[in-house]
Amino acid sequence: MSRRFVLALTALLVFVSGMLPVLSMLLRSLRNDDRWSLAAYRGLLGSAHQWALMEHSLVLAALVTGLTLIAGVPLGLLLGKTDLPGRRLYTGLFAVPLLLPPYVLAVSWADLLGPDGLLAGMAGPGIARATAQWLFGLPGCVLVLSAVFLPIPMLLTMIFLRTVDPRLEEAARLLAPWPTVLRGITVPLILPGIALAAVLVFLLSFGEFGVPTFLRYDVFPVESFVQFSAFYDFQAATAAAAPMAGVTLVLLLMEAASLRGRAGQLRLSGLERGLPRIGLGAGRMAWAAATAGLAVALVLVPIGALVAQSAEVAAYQEALRHAGDSLLRSLVYAGIGATLLTAIGFLTGYLVQTRALAVWRAVDSMTLFLFALPGTVIGIGLISLWNTPWTNLVYATPAIIVLGYLAKYTALTSRISATQLGLIPASMEEAAQVAGAGWARRMALIVAPLARRGLAAAWLVGYLFSLRDTDITMLVYPPGHDTLPVRIFTLMANGEPALIAALCTLMIAASVLPLALLALVPRLGRDLQDP
Amino acid sequence: MKRFASIALLVTAVVAGIVLWQRARVPTVHPTVVVYVSEDQVFSEPILQDFERETGIRVQAVYDTEETKSTGAMNRLIAEKDNPQADVYWANEPIRAEVLKQRGIAAPYVSPNARTIPPMFRDPQGYWSGFSARARVFIVHEAVKDPPHGVRDYTDPRWNGRAVIANPLFGTTTAEIAALFTIWGDAQGRAFLEGLKRNQIAISSSNGESADFVSAGRYAFALVDSDDAVNRMRHGKPVFLVYPDQEPGGLGAFIVPNAAVLIRGAPHPEAARRLIDYLLSPQTERKLALADCAQIPLHPGVQGPPELKPLDHIRVMPVHYADVARKLTEIQPLLRSWLGL
Repeated sequence: MSRRFVLALTALLVFVSGMLPVLSMLLRSLRNDDRWSLAAYRGLLGSAHQWALMEHSLVLAALVTGLTLIAGVPLGLLLGKTDLPGRRLYTGLFAVPLLLPPYVLAVSWADLLGPDGLLAGMAGPGIARATAQWLFGLPGCVLVLSAVFLPIPMLLTMIFLRTVDPRLEEAARLLAPWPTVLRGITVPLILPGIALAAVLVFLLSFGEFGVPTFLRYDVFPVESFVQFSAFYDFQAATAAAAPMAGVTLVLLLMEAASLRGRAGQLRLSGLERGLPRIGLGAGRMAWAAATAGLAVALVLVPIGALVAQSAEVAAYQEALRHAGDSLLRSLVYAGIGATLLTAIGFLTGYLVQTRALAVWRAVDSMTLFLFALPGTVIGIGLISLWNTPWTNLVYATPAIIVLGYLAKYTALTSRISATQLGLIPASMEEAAQVAGAGWARRMALIVAPLARRGLAAAWLVGYLFSLRDTDITMLVYPPGHDTLPVRIFTLMANGEPALIAALCTLMIAASVLPLALLALVPRLGRDLQDP
Repeated sequence: MKRFASIALLVTAVVAGIVLWQRARVPTVHPTVVVYVSEDQVFSEPILQDFERETGIRVQAVYDTEETKSTGAMNRLIAEKDNPQADVYWANEPIRAEVLKQRGIAAPYVSPNARTIPPMFRDPQGYWSGFSARARVFIVHEAVKDPPHGVRDYTDPRWNGRAVIANPLFGTTTAEIAALFTIWGDAQGRAFLEGLKRNQIAISSSNGESADFVSAGRYAFALVDSDDAVNRMRHGKPVFLVYPDQEPGGLGAFIVPNAAVLIRGAPHPEAARRLIDYLLSPQTERKLALADCAQIPLHPGVQGPPELKPLDHIRVMPVHYADVARKLTEIQPLLRSWLGL
């Protein structure tokens, strides 16, 4: 098989799994009684309620983006650039919320601050009522989503720090202290990473559905879901989803335009072992204490509340009885999803990295667009496209869930693969080509082995995001094939709090377990220095 | 070694995928029934598991979530009308069952177990059969000395700003509003809605939230489902329940039975009929009565939840659920505009 053929097939697969459902949904929303019509859109634009919901979503997304950047970028600098003790531990701790379905964090905060939460038991119902009122609404949504998405600017800052040429910083250090160097050299050089983080956090908060629903704050994505599920108004559901797709597109275009020529240049410096670190000196322990305090407040306290709520063996026995099958299915589907995501992400990453086809930029943008698009939109699109008697093999089987994963998360594995492939000198593949090896052979015996650590990281990221997916799976899962996050959602109606907490704790365990594997995979790029 | 582990992991995942895929597409040896469920999973799943155990028929279920106001399953049935995946729909109220009948998605089936269920709670042509009901009741805070007696109390100035009702666009509240319209007529129905607004009655997102508000003392009373009230009472909240409009000649309490529906074109019709028989049996009603959902049995002589009166001791609102379903669709634009949407 030729390189062009395989890469074209991959691009087609990405289009079919992701863009085709979205386009199909869009087309159906424009048809009314076999005629073209904008009625659904007119109804949407004419409703003051919709505009109020849009305002809610924009305010929520802006606040979460602002807060995560304010906290996440300095945190990334602290963990990625200084000699802070326990850096790796803190990085892992702060990353935990990103690995979980966001509503699990919402449940854990409710277990802490809600009317029947731990605080109510300790401080009395008066205080608990006040904290519950604060939690259930915009402030609670901002708190939970900020904790969930804080790792994005933090991790991107840390990754982009490794792209800064240390010689620039060292030269500047001859003339100025570290704070000035950070302001004048380092931060401007990692601006593409910060911008990417801002765009991702904004879009993910904007499209978030579970947390605002749980915390009773009406936002735009809920409207789309309710239109589809509570009124069965397919046209209105799509029309309600269209502005979300529009906002996503506009932001991605803005990001691409503002970073033209810079964002695509993510190259690890290859010198990370020798990266200059900022010595915190006498303040080292104070910084460590502050970081620990933040980790306790944002991660350990809510998760601790969850564990405390479920601190009975009976709750876990009950949880396994109720959801053991769902847990198993989650692990299997996430495993399959991650394997396919790794394979497809590797090929799209290769396409983006080598620019082997003219459509490389379109494929890259398409995957990122789908990642940023709310899951409910993709879910509705999948139903619209695949719910026919001829496609039951897909619609009536778990294949529809896996297709959803591919549509939504290919961007992640693609970007990881592209970064890893960027570290492999082109001369390696060229030498094999000169020696007469075909493309498939070169990929299997040269490129893939050299990129194996990237592939492992891609698999783990694909696994974690597939495992935590709720929005798409909840809409499309075939009868008897629900996953653990979906099961938790359906059991929330009248389920015992201890049972829900135990299920959420199991979800955390299933998510964190692969981190142990991740710890075994050395950091990207080490291969090049230590082949 | 690491490479071997990676390959083993990959192979395991692929093999597991293939096995699972095959299990999904190849008909299993055991008979199967596919059921979409709007009743809360916590309460419905044990019943379905008992059915599996007693009959050997494998149950595959899709459950609703609270976020879709328990209408997601029905809407999925509508979406799949030309490509049915489900055999049975377990609705948590009969209005959706009526909508499915009116849309040509339900098929008739008269279960032998439906014969002793009062005719009011089943479709005359057998398109759905009711079982295990909730009553619409007032949950009242203990501090209230002179509780409300009927739904019209919502418009009494005595309760101005002191009562709450769930969003009338969703669930059993929308069904009860539609039921009131069928009994009172449109003019009185509209006047009632205007009265609610004039009396500054608060709107909550769900019956559960209404019950929580009353339990917390934020409002004096709310019209909720009997299971919401019983649940708060069992948790020791300072509330009690009142059956509305029970005076002689009164309107009566609106009763909301579950409903079992056979789906037209069901892939497993025989297993579907057996499941419906099971759902409509007295033992299922007994289990649902004694569970936390505290549902009122419709079969005579079946033990009910201790906190609630048996059906024959309640003055029941005399409605035809088919009329209520039609009226519900008709007044939806009115309700939306009443809510300012």
